[in-house]
Formats: sequence, C-alpha cells, structure tokens
Amino acid sequence: MSTSNPSGIPPGSTHPEHPTGQDKELMALLDRVAARDEAALKALYDLTSGKLYGLAVRVVCHRDWAEDVLQESYLTIWRVAADYRAALSPPMAWMGLIVRSRALDSLRRRTADRSTVTQELDDSLAETLEGDAANPMDTTQASQQAWALHQCLSRLENRQREVVSLAYLRDLSHSELAQQLRLPLGTVKTWIRRGLEQLRTCMARFA
Amino acid sequence: MNLIQNPELLDKLAASYALGTLRGKPRTRFEAMARDLAHVRAAALIWQARLSSMAELQHTAQPAPAVWTRIDNLLRAEKEARTMQAARVAPAASAAPASSAPAPGGWLSSLLLWRGATVLGIAATVAALLVGVNMREQLGQQLGSQIAALRMQLQATPQIEYVAVLSDDKSAASILVTLDTKNRKLVLQRIGGYTEAGDKSLQLWALPPAGGPRSLGVLGADKVLSFAAAEGDVREVPTLAISLEPKGGVPSAGGPTGPVLFKGALIQKVL
Repeated sequence: MSTSNPSGIPPGSTHPEHPTGQDKELMALLDRVAARDEAALKALYDLTSGKLYGLAVRVVCHRDWAEDVLQESYLTIWRVAADYRAALSPPMAWMGLIVRSRALDSLRRRTADRSTVTQELDDSLAETLEGDAANPMDTTQASQQAWALHQCLSRLENRQREVVSLAYLRDLSHSELAQQLRLPLGTVKTWIRRGLEQLRTCMARFA
Repeated sequence: MNLIQNPELLDKLAASYALGTLRGKPRTRFEAMARDLAHVRAAALIWQARLSSMAELQHTAQPAPAVWTRIDNLLRAEKEARTMQAARVAPAASAAPASSAPAPGGWLSSLLLWRGATVLGIAATVAALLVGVNMREQLGQQLGSQIAALRMQLQATPQIEYVAVLSDDKSAASILVTLDTKNRKLVLQRIGGYTEAGDKSLQLWALPPAGGPRSLGVLGADKVLSFAAAEGDVREVPTLAISLEPKGGVPSAGGPTGPVLFKGALIQKVL
C-alpha cells in the first residue's frame, strides 16, 4: 500500500502513526507466546483484550458469552501462536479471526440449544440498525489494512455498512439477515449488493 | 462464467465469497475454480484479508477481571499436569537404590509429587469443568482425550484429605503424614535425618482436644510407612505427635511414656 493519499479518500483521513509500532510490539509478543512465555501472554492480553472483547460482544451480543469466547480465544492463541508468522496478517486481524471463529462457534452452540436465544439476539440486532451514529467504528489499534477498510466502510450509508458488517462478523446469509433484522429479503439483498459494490470500488484504490 | 476474461466479475464474486453472502451452488463453483486457478484463489485471499480487518474496527469493551484469572488458572493446570508427568518418571528412577542417608533431591521430588497429586486433582476438576463445557468439537476432541487422561490419573492418585508436617523442637520438618481416605491409609514419610537407637521405637499419637493421646501406630525403620487408618481416627484431631518409646511401642491406654520428639498440626485439605 502506498503512503500517498489515494484520490477519492476524504481529507483529514491520513493514517495514524501509532499502529506500526503497536503491530511490532504485538508481533514480538506473539513470538514470545509461541515460545511458551506466560508473561508475554499476559502482556498481550492487557494490550488486546479490550478490542477483542468488543469484537466478541458484537458477534454474540451477550457479555457472559463474550467472556467465554474471549477465554477460549486466548487459550487458542496460546496454543497456535507459532502459526502466526505464516499468516502474513496484521496481528490484530489474525487474533480477530480466532475470536470471530470462536464467537461463531459459541453462537452455533447456543442457537442449536434453544431457539429463544435466537429471538433475543434478533432483538438486539434489530436495535443496532436503528442507531445512526455518524461513525460506529473505532480505529484505535487498527492496522494499516484496517485503516483502509475503515475509510471505505465510512463512505457507506449507515444501514448498508451495518448490514455488510453483520453479514461478515456473524456469517449470515441474505435470508438469515432478513429474518434477524426483520427486513424484506429484497431490501437486504439490495443493501448488501450496493454496499459491497461501493466497498469494492473504494478498496481498489488502496490495492 | 469466464472469470479470466472478466476481472470485475471475479472481484465481485471474490468479495461476496469472503463476505460470506455467496452461498449454495455459486459458492461451491467458486471454490472449485479457486482450487484450479491461482488468480481466482488470489482474489479470494485478498478479500478475506481485507475483511478480516473488520475485527480491528470494533469498539473496545472491558471484560471482567475474572476472565484473565480463568485463563491463568487453565494455563497453570496445563503446566502442573506436565510437571506431574515429569515428576512421576523421575522419582521412580531415583527411588530404586534405597539409601539410608536422606537424599535432599529425593525429598524435594517427593514433595513435588505430593503437591502435584493435590494440584492434579484440582487441575483435572477445573479442566473438566471449564474446558470441557466450553470447547467445541475441534478443540474438544483433543482436549477430551487430555481430560480422559487426567481423569485416569486422578483415579490412580490417592485422595489426600489430611496432611501434617511434624517438626522437632527446632521447627525442622521431620515427618510428613498424609491420610488417604480413599485407600484408608495413613502414610508417614521420614523427611529429616533422625534415626532412633536400636532399642527404641517411634510411636505416632493422635492428640484429640478431649481425652488422652491415642496411638495410631508404631513406626518401623523404613523411610516410608503406612498404617491402616480411617478418617474417623483423625477427625477433629488438631495435632499429631511422635514420642520416643521402648522398642515396639507402648499400649495406647497408658499414653506416651517417653519424650515427644516431633509434633505438628493436622490440616484437613479443603477443596
């Protein structure tokens, strides 16, 4: 990715300077975790648990479950940290994938258990769509790659951004989204198609 | 569908594939193509990487401090289980040549063994409760076998419910006493350098809060001894003591006749 500001990106959106240093620190910690350094896992936890917990809460919509997810995720990180170097991803994105996959597992288990849970989740999801905060994303600790995604997502309409984000984070199909968000299937399809189309055009500028 | 000649269509498909909204047959077809064609695969990977950053853009929230405690406990349990296995192998090898002089290494590793046995019980329970419930099949299968192994070890492990370290008048630890309620066995281990004269015997007494001392047994010369004993023999007994008696010991009814050499509080382990 070039450091120059690609055309079409809003002004004032220069990339913050801290992430590179933060990424280096996280990578060094992951290396130490891979070498079975417990103090490094604690340091990694202190630096990243807030962000990853936020992600887990977003996926499972339930603080207790998100805490279980977080626990499982750090134990997974402890076991597979040695694989990080091969992943070629920013450290937060890599850990985020672990958290997302544990969170999706948790959701599948819960929804398989009781259908009332799904109802509960639907309610909280529907609420997120009604909020119209100008920028519901948080770029602290974001890598350069995340910064680009953030720039492009920010340019979507709120509802489009929300539906695209939820489709990804919660691994939902069009019809599952429609059901959970209580929207007509056609509407969801349109929002996703338009949102993804804009995202694609925008991300191409960063490539 | 010719993706080689239509880069825009490829990009679209790759984006919806990575987002997860490409489902059913179209998804299967796309996956098949990605396996065959490197540039299709590359497009999919690019979009997976791009979207993976979605994880980085979520709001920060503070998990309860207990989460780290749980992680830390599970890590400890894992580590103790490994230490345990190492400790099991080591003393078995070094205990074979029975020497009269107390080898410090032997005592140390035995302490490790005792501690390990206790911790292993906790570890297995914690691991079974916390890990067993939460982990999914993938991890769960691997953990399941670990838990099964821990359970088997636990069953083979004595259930130590009472422990006492008897010390001499200089507070030097001399005898370790443990009661294994499962096997109804009181195990004594000489851990100091004390050796009684040939015409004397050491006798173990329970000192209940009311009534006189009750003999629990007379010690032989072995480094490790075990007496048959049930929990009833030591329940409510705050202290154990060892006196120096004539060879073969004295009858319980009369109480100790010689000096008390070692004494210590009997502690009930609460799990």
